[in-house]
Amino acid sequence: MTLILHDLAPMHWALAGAGIAAVTLVLLWVGNRRLGISTGFEDLCSLALPLPYFRRGSLLGARRWRLPFLAGLVLGGALSALVGGGWAPTWDLGMFDRIVQWGPAGKLAWMFAGGLLIGFGTRLAGGCTSGHGIFGLSNLEAPSLVSTLGFMGSGAVTTHLVYRVLFG
Amino acid sequence: MLYLVLGTVFGFILSRSGAADYDFIQAMFLFQSTQLYGIIGTAVLVTAPGLWLLKRRGRTIAGRPLAIERKAFTRGTLVGGLLFGVGWSMAGMCPGPMFVNIGEGKLYALAALAGALTGAGLLGAVYPRLQRPLTLPPITVGTGEG
Repeated sequence: MTLILHDLAPMHWALAGAGIAAVTLVLLWVGNRRLGISTGFEDLCSLALPLPYFRRGSLLGARRWRLPFLAGLVLGGALSALVGGGWAPTWDLGMFDRIVQWGPAGKLAWMFAGGLLIGFGTRLAGGCTSGHGIFGLSNLEAPSLVSTLGFMGSGAVTTHLVYRVLFG
Repeated sequence: MLYLVLGTVFGFILSRSGAADYDFIQAMFLFQSTQLYGIIGTAVLVTAPGLWLLKRRGRTIAGRPLAIERKAFTRGTLVGGLLFGVGWSMAGMCPGPMFVNIGEGKLYALAALAGALTGAGLLGAVYPRLQRPLTLPPITVGTGEG
Protein backbone atom coordinates (compact mmCIF):
# COMPACT_ATOMS: atom_id res chain seq x y z
CA MET A 1 0.00 0.00 0.00
CA THR A 2 1.44 3.36 -1.01
CA LEU A 3 0.70 7.00 -0.22
CA ILE A 4 -1.57 9.06 -2.44
CA LEU A 5 1.34 11.51 -2.47
CA HIS A 6 3.49 10.46 -5.45
CA ASP A 7 2.80 6.76 -4.72
CA LEU A 8 5.57 6.85 -2.13
CA ALA A 9 6.22 3.99 0.27
CA PRO A 10 5.24 5.02 3.80
CA MET A 11 7.79 5.68 6.53
CA HIS A 12 8.01 2.70 8.92
CA TRP A 13 5.42 2.97 11.68
CA ALA A 14 7.95 2.58 14.50
CA LEU A 15 10.13 5.39 13.15
CA ALA A 16 7.10 7.63 12.63
CA GLY A 17 5.74 6.89 16.09
CA ALA A 18 9.10 7.57 17.73
CA GLY A 19 9.40 10.81 15.75
CA ILE A 20 5.99 11.97 16.92
CA ALA A 21 6.92 11.07 20.50
CA ALA A 22 10.13 13.10 20.16
CA VAL A 23 8.23 16.16 18.93
CA THR A 24 5.73 15.75 21.78
CA LEU A 25 8.43 15.51 24.45
CA VAL A 26 10.55 18.37 23.06
CA LEU A 27 7.44 20.55 22.86
CA LEU A 28 6.92 19.95 26.58
CA TRP A 29 10.53 19.92 27.79
CA VAL A 30 11.67 22.98 25.86
CA GLY A 31 8.45 24.88 25.22
CA ASN A 32 6.41 23.78 28.24
CA ARG A 33 3.50 23.14 25.89
CA ARG A 34 1.10 20.24 25.76
CA LEU A 35 0.70 18.77 22.25
CA GLY A 36 -2.67 19.59 20.75
CA ILE A 37 -3.90 20.63 17.32
CA SER A 38 -7.66 21.09 17.31
CA THR A 39 -7.48 24.07 19.66
CA GLY A 40 -5.85 25.66 16.62
CA PHE A 41 -9.32 25.91 15.08
CA GLU A 42 -10.33 28.08 18.01
CA ASP A 43 -7.12 30.09 17.71
CA LEU A 44 -7.99 30.81 14.09
CA CYS A 45 -11.63 31.58 14.96
CA SER A 46 -10.48 33.97 17.67
CA LEU A 47 -8.81 36.08 15.00
CA ALA A 48 -12.19 36.82 13.44
CA LEU A 49 -15.04 36.07 15.86
CA PRO A 50 -15.63 38.29 18.93
CA LEU A 51 -17.71 35.70 20.82
CA PRO A 52 -16.87 35.30 24.55
CA TYR A 53 -15.90 31.68 23.90
CA PHE A 54 -13.06 32.91 21.69
CA ARG A 55 -11.85 35.47 24.23
CA ARG A 56 -10.89 32.85 26.85
CA GLY A 57 -7.57 33.70 28.46
CA SER A 58 -6.11 30.24 27.96
CA LEU A 59 -6.97 30.41 24.27
CA LEU A 60 -5.62 33.87 23.52
CA GLY A 61 -2.35 33.10 25.27
CA ALA A 62 -1.81 29.92 23.25
CA ARG A 63 -1.97 31.58 19.84
CA ARG A 64 1.67 32.63 20.05
CA TRP A 65 2.93 29.06 19.92
CA ARG A 66 0.16 27.13 18.22
CA LEU A 67 -0.24 29.28 15.13
CA PRO A 68 3.47 28.93 14.23
CA PHE A 69 3.16 25.20 14.97
CA LEU A 70 0.23 24.89 12.56
CA ALA A 71 2.16 26.87 9.95
CA GLY A 72 4.92 24.31 10.43
CA LEU A 73 2.49 21.48 9.65
CA VAL A 74 1.64 23.14 6.33
CA LEU A 75 5.34 23.66 5.64
CA GLY A 76 6.13 20.04 6.58
CA GLY A 77 3.51 18.81 4.13
CA ALA A 78 4.90 21.06 1.40
CA LEU A 79 8.47 19.88 2.03
CA SER A 80 7.33 16.27 1.95
CA ALA A 81 5.74 16.82 -1.46
CA LEU A 82 8.71 18.81 -2.78
CA VAL A 83 11.39 16.28 -1.89
CA GLY A 84 9.07 13.40 -2.72
CA GLY A 85 8.61 14.28 -6.36
CA GLY A 86 7.53 17.88 -6.62
CA TRP A 87 4.73 20.08 -5.33
CA ALA A 88 1.54 20.39 -7.39
CA PRO A 89 -2.09 21.03 -6.49
CA THR A 90 -4.18 17.86 -6.72
CA TRP A 91 -7.68 16.51 -6.35
CA ASP A 92 -6.48 12.91 -6.03
CA LEU A 93 -8.33 11.16 -3.21
CA GLY A 94 -7.33 7.52 -3.64
CA MET A 95 -10.03 5.00 -2.86
CA PHE A 96 -12.72 7.69 -2.69
CA ASP A 97 -12.05 8.31 -6.40
CA ARG A 98 -12.04 4.60 -7.21
CA ILE A 99 -15.18 3.69 -5.28
CA VAL A 100 -17.30 6.75 -4.54
CA GLN A 101 -16.31 8.53 -7.77
CA TRP A 102 -17.57 12.03 -7.01
CA GLY A 103 -16.18 15.03 -8.86
CA PRO A 104 -14.53 18.10 -7.28
CA ALA A 105 -17.85 19.68 -6.22
CA GLY A 106 -19.00 16.53 -4.45
CA LYS A 107 -15.61 16.12 -2.79
CA LEU A 108 -15.68 19.68 -1.50
CA ALA A 109 -19.16 19.22 -0.02
CA TRP A 110 -18.21 15.89 1.57
CA MET A 111 -14.96 17.32 2.94
CA PHE A 112 -16.73 20.40 4.29
CA ALA A 113 -19.29 18.22 6.07
CA GLY A 114 -16.56 16.01 7.50
CA GLY A 115 -14.62 19.09 8.56
CA LEU A 116 -17.69 20.56 10.23
CA LEU A 117 -18.05 17.46 12.41
CA ILE A 118 -14.33 17.48 13.14
CA GLY A 119 -14.32 21.14 14.19
CA PHE A 120 -17.43 20.92 16.35
CA GLY A 121 -16.67 17.46 17.73
CA THR A 122 -13.02 18.01 18.68
CA ARG A 123 -13.81 21.26 20.45
CA LEU A 124 -16.70 19.70 22.32
CA ALA A 125 -14.50 16.75 23.29
CA GLY A 126 -11.64 19.05 24.22
CA GLY A 127 -9.14 17.37 21.96
CA CYS A 128 -8.41 15.12 18.99
CA THR A 129 -5.90 12.48 17.97
CA SER A 130 -2.97 14.56 19.20
CA GLY A 131 -4.33 16.03 22.42
CA HIS A 132 -6.33 13.01 23.57
CA GLY A 133 -4.87 10.14 21.57
CA ILE A 134 -1.15 10.84 21.88
CA PHE A 135 -0.63 13.13 24.86
CA GLY A 136 -3.71 12.26 26.90
CA LEU A 137 -3.21 8.49 26.69
CA SER A 138 0.52 8.86 27.40
CA ASN A 139 -0.39 10.90 30.47
CA LEU A 140 -2.85 8.19 31.53
CA GLU A 141 -5.88 10.46 31.50
CA ALA A 142 -9.25 8.71 31.69
CA PRO A 143 -11.18 11.35 29.68
CA SER A 144 -8.70 10.83 26.85
CA LEU A 145 -9.35 7.10 26.85
CA VAL A 146 -13.11 7.71 26.67
CA SER A 147 -12.74 10.21 23.84
CA THR A 148 -10.25 8.07 21.91
CA LEU A 149 -12.45 4.98 22.12
CA GLY A 150 -15.34 7.20 21.02
CA PHE A 151 -13.70 8.61 17.93
CA MET A 152 -11.99 5.39 16.89
CA GLY A 153 -15.29 3.55 17.28
CA SER A 154 -17.47 6.01 15.40
CA GLY A 155 -14.77 6.39 12.76
CA ALA A 156 -14.74 2.65 12.11
CA VAL A 157 -18.54 2.48 11.99
CA THR A 158 -18.72 5.38 9.54
CA THR A 159 -16.06 3.98 7.22
CA HIS A 160 -17.77 0.59 7.21
CA LEU A 161 -21.07 2.28 6.39
CA VAL A 162 -19.53 4.20 3.50
CA TYR A 163 -17.36 1.48 1.98
CA ARG A 164 -19.22 -1.67 2.97
CA VAL A 165 -22.86 -0.58 2.82
CA LEU A 166 -23.48 2.61 0.84
CA PHE A 167 -20.85 2.13 -1.85
CA GLY A 168 -19.89 -1.48 -1.21
CA MET B 1 10.92 29.58 15.69
CA LEU B 2 10.98 26.50 17.95
CA TYR B 3 7.30 25.87 17.27
CA LEU B 4 7.62 26.41 13.53
CA VAL B 5 10.47 23.88 13.38
CA LEU B 6 8.69 21.32 15.57
CA GLY B 7 5.53 21.77 13.51
CA THR B 8 7.47 21.26 10.28
CA VAL B 9 9.09 18.06 11.55
CA PHE B 10 5.74 16.80 12.84
CA GLY B 11 4.07 17.69 9.54
CA PHE B 12 6.72 15.91 7.49
CA ILE B 13 6.36 12.76 9.60
CA LEU B 14 2.56 12.78 9.36
CA SER B 15 2.81 13.24 5.60
CA ARG B 16 5.32 10.46 4.96
CA SER B 17 3.95 7.90 7.41
CA GLY B 18 0.41 7.69 6.05
CA ALA B 19 -1.11 9.50 9.03
CA ALA B 20 -2.23 12.24 6.64
CA ASP B 21 -3.28 9.88 3.84
CA TYR B 22 -6.94 9.22 3.05
CA ASP B 23 -6.32 5.61 2.00
CA PHE B 24 -4.35 4.74 5.14
CA ILE B 25 -7.03 6.28 7.35
CA GLN B 26 -9.76 4.23 5.69
CA ALA B 27 -7.57 1.10 5.86
CA MET B 28 -7.17 1.73 9.60
CA PHE B 29 -10.92 2.04 10.15
CA LEU B 30 -11.53 -1.03 7.96
CA PHE B 31 -8.91 -2.94 10.00
CA GLN B 32 -7.01 -3.70 6.79
CA SER B 33 -3.72 -2.08 7.82
CA THR B 34 -1.81 -1.85 11.08
CA GLN B 35 0.33 1.11 9.98
CA LEU B 36 -1.65 3.79 11.82
CA TYR B 37 -2.20 1.63 14.90
CA GLY B 38 1.55 1.01 14.95
CA ILE B 39 2.31 4.73 14.71
CA ILE B 40 -0.12 5.77 17.45
CA GLY B 41 0.87 2.83 19.64
CA THR B 42 4.58 3.57 19.30
CA ALA B 43 4.04 7.28 19.90
CA VAL B 44 2.15 6.57 23.12
CA LEU B 45 4.60 3.89 24.30
CA VAL B 46 7.58 6.21 23.79
CA THR B 47 5.90 9.38 25.04
CA ALA B 48 4.55 7.80 28.23
CA PRO B 49 7.89 6.96 29.91
CA GLY B 50 9.37 10.22 28.60
CA LEU B 51 6.50 12.09 30.19
CA TRP B 52 6.96 10.18 33.42
CA LEU B 53 10.64 11.18 33.55
CA LEU B 54 9.86 14.82 32.78
CA LYS B 55 7.20 14.97 35.46
CA ARG B 56 9.59 13.38 37.95
CA ARG B 57 12.14 16.06 37.14
CA GLY B 58 9.31 18.58 37.28
CA ARG B 59 11.03 21.28 35.25
CA THR B 60 11.62 22.32 31.66
CA ILE B 61 15.09 22.53 30.15
CA ALA B 62 15.06 26.21 31.16
CA GLY B 63 14.22 25.33 34.75
CA ARG B 64 10.63 26.50 34.74
CA PRO B 65 8.01 24.36 36.52
CA LEU B 66 6.25 22.00 34.10
CA ALA B 67 2.70 23.03 33.29
CA ILE B 68 0.58 20.03 32.37
CA GLU B 69 -3.09 20.80 32.62
CA ARG B 70 -5.06 17.57 32.65
CA LYS B 71 -8.18 17.38 30.52
CA ALA B 72 -11.52 17.37 32.32
CA PHE B 73 -14.22 14.83 31.64
CA THR B 74 -17.58 16.21 30.54
CA ARG B 75 -20.42 14.63 28.58
CA GLY B 76 -18.95 16.54 25.68
CA THR B 77 -15.87 14.33 25.88
CA LEU B 78 -17.77 11.32 24.58
CA VAL B 79 -20.37 13.10 22.41
CA GLY B 80 -17.66 15.25 20.84
CA GLY B 81 -15.40 12.25 20.36
CA LEU B 82 -18.12 10.37 18.51
CA LEU B 83 -18.86 13.34 16.23
CA PHE B 84 -15.15 13.83 15.58
CA GLY B 85 -14.78 10.17 14.60
CA VAL B 86 -17.54 10.43 12.00
CA GLY B 87 -15.91 13.54 10.56
CA TRP B 88 -12.44 11.99 10.62
CA SER B 89 -13.71 9.01 8.64
CA MET B 90 -15.48 11.21 6.10
CA ALA B 91 -12.59 13.61 5.53
CA GLY B 92 -9.87 11.03 5.97
CA MET B 93 -7.87 13.48 8.04
CA CYS B 94 -7.87 14.59 11.65
CA PRO B 95 -6.90 18.19 12.63
CA GLY B 96 -3.11 17.94 12.26
CA PRO B 97 -3.18 16.18 8.87
CA MET B 98 -5.67 18.79 7.63
CA PHE B 99 -2.89 21.38 7.65
CA VAL B 100 -0.38 18.86 6.29
CA ASN B 101 -2.66 17.99 3.37
CA ILE B 102 -3.07 21.66 2.54
CA GLY B 103 0.72 21.94 2.47
CA GLU B 104 0.93 18.90 0.18
CA GLY B 105 -1.35 20.62 -2.32
CA LYS B 106 -4.47 18.52 -1.77
CA LEU B 107 -7.07 21.15 -2.66
CA TYR B 108 -10.02 19.38 -1.03
CA ALA B 109 -8.30 19.77 2.36
CA LEU B 110 -9.13 23.48 2.19
CA ALA B 111 -12.83 22.55 2.28
CA ALA B 112 -12.21 20.32 5.30
CA LEU B 113 -10.46 23.19 7.09
CA ALA B 114 -13.27 25.59 6.16
CA GLY B 115 -15.72 23.08 7.60
CA ALA B 116 -13.65 22.65 10.76
CA LEU B 117 -13.45 26.39 11.37
CA THR B 118 -17.19 26.66 10.77
CA GLY B 119 -17.77 23.81 13.21
CA ALA B 120 -15.55 25.38 15.87
CA GLY B 121 -17.22 28.75 15.32
CA LEU B 122 -20.62 27.10 15.64
CA LEU B 123 -19.60 25.50 18.93
CA GLY B 124 -18.43 28.88 20.19
CA ALA B 125 -21.80 30.36 19.28
CA VAL B 126 -23.93 27.68 20.95
CA TYR B 127 -21.58 26.95 23.85
CA PRO B 128 -23.63 28.86 26.46
CA ARG B 129 -26.66 26.74 25.64
CA LEU B 130 -24.73 23.46 25.74
CA GLN B 131 -22.92 24.28 28.96
CA ARG B 132 -25.37 22.90 31.48
CA PRO B 133 -26.74 19.81 29.66
CA LEU B 134 -23.25 18.63 28.72
CA THR B 135 -21.56 19.69 31.98
CA LEU B 136 -19.09 21.91 30.14
CA PRO B 137 -16.68 24.20 32.01
CA PRO B 138 -17.43 27.94 32.33
CA ILE B 139 -15.93 30.50 29.97
CA THR B 140 -13.23 32.66 31.51
CA VAL B 141 -12.63 35.67 29.29
CA GLY B 142 -9.03 36.77 29.64
CA THR B 143 -6.40 39.21 28.50
CA GLY B 144 -4.33 36.64 26.65
CA GLU B 145 -1.55 36.40 29.20
CA GLY B 146 -2.27 32.74 29.98
